[in-house]
Amino acid sequence: MELFELINKIFIKDGAWLTILKGLGVTIEISLLSIILGTLLGAAICFFRLSKIKPLEIFAKAYIAIIRGSPVLMLLMLLFYGVFARSGMSPVMVAVITFSMHTAAHVAELLRSALMATDKGQIEAARTLGFSKIQAFRLVTLPQLTRIAKPVYQSTIINLIQWTSVVGYVTITDLTRVINNTASRTMQPMITIIGGMIIYLALSYVVQGIFHLTDAKKQKSEEAAA
Amino acid sequence: MIRLKKIASLFLICILAGIFFTGCGEEKSDHPTKIGMIQYLNASEQKMSEILQKAEEKAKIKVTNYQTIFFKNLNSMQLALLSGDIDQMSTYRCVADYLVARDAQIKILDRSSVHLKDSFCFAVRSEKVELKDSLNKALGEMKQDGTLEKLTKEYITEPDKSKDPPAFEIQHFDGAETIKVAVTGDLPPLDLVLADGTPAGFNTALLAEVGKRLQKNVETVQIESDSRAAALKADLVDVSFWAVLPEDEERPADFDAPAGTILSEPYFSDEIIHLERTE
Repeated sequence: MELFELINKIFIKDGAWLTILKGLGVTIEISLLSIILGTLLGAAICFFRLSKIKPLEIFAKAYIAIIRGSPVLMLLMLLFYGVFARSGMSPVMVAVITFSMHTAAHVAELLRSALMATDKGQIEAARTLGFSKIQAFRLVTLPQLTRIAKPVYQSTIINLIQWTSVVGYVTITDLTRVINNTASRTMQPMITIIGGMIIYLALSYVVQGIFHLTDAKKQKSEEAAA
Repeated sequence: MIRLKKIASLFLICILAGIFFTGCGEEKSDHPTKIGMIQYLNASEQKMSEILQKAEEKAKIKVTNYQTIFFKNLNSMQLALLSGDIDQMSTYRCVADYLVARDAQIKILDRSSVHLKDSFCFAVRSEKVELKDSLNKALGEMKQDGTLEKLTKEYITEPDKSKDPPAFEIQHFDGAETIKVAVTGDLPPLDLVLADGTPAGFNTALLAEVGKRLQKNVETVQIESDSRAAALKADLVDVSFWAVLPEDEERPADFDAPAGTILSEPYFSDEIIHLERTE
């Protein structure tokens, strides 16, 4: 009973659940925007990395090396307190830019490795059969690419959600910040942090569930086609 | 036979690793007392260690018996104390009272050896002398008319221990200038965030009163404790809370003022005390 009272006091009482929900909303907002922009940017970086134009390839290599090699918190603080300090840009926007840049470097490398793992012979065969370059990519390379890249991409999304927990450093009240504030207010850090971890864990399971659903859907459609 | 040798080697490695990581034999009785401390706005860990050593030497205490470990916030320090990573934690009397009232596993250590006292003040960018002067003026008025004492009583010395410190409504002035103030929520009852997400505590109440007297709007910006100096330097906030003005000879007056910032007159002072686990 005492534990339930404590849980009620920490996570529910006086609208605490609503504040936690707001923090969760901010975490989801930053993660979602970053994964969309990061994937698009990552695809472009991957394209540059595989380009035959030397300056583009060098740029992509340098981008990947620098961004993947630096901690995301450093990048976030550099952009927020340095580059965009006087731009008037909102902290959430700066966070989205930072995490998109960071995700892009990872996505570019995962796309490149997935592309390298696809069978080149099949593309050549498709071209010989009269497929255009775009058709060969869309119908032969892309399905294989998504199949190979999917598990790593899922991990990238889950990692991204966890990386966003540092946004409190740039005046954003996300889930981690709310949990920290709650722990300070109630002076019950252990149980509050466990509660926060469960929410992050649930978020990871939601991502896994979405991927699992798409897999199941694809399997069903393949079975129906067979 | 080779497989047996491999298994034996692996077993030996595991034992050695176990000894290395956990230690063997009885714990030495003269191991240093580990004291946790929250990082300051500016003073580095090394600087603080030197200052503490000086203070301890002055108090004629064997300095090698103490090891200071710095933490980013109160939560992590509290967890370290409860898990046994540190033996004591050092914090302000008002924070200690707040903590002890909410966590029965921690108690105030009466035989605390070094008694330092800190005063709290606002930090502003050095070019904002006018802002600093107006803050000082408001603080001076509040000291004179007893408002500061009233707030200190309400939030620090005679708080209602049965509930969280109340939020203080910050008055809005149409068309007036806005002062952005960094709050951390990390140091109750001075600075905390209520269940509904509203910044509260002594500092916020003080802030609301200062804003009212200066006829300026006050906007609180929630930030991690160790980003306060960066936010101030980047001009993303105008004022930062709880910069420390020492009340002893060991520490220079500007030891907690980051380069390019100036400090206001102090608005509150408190004794640093130590806490330990209840047996």
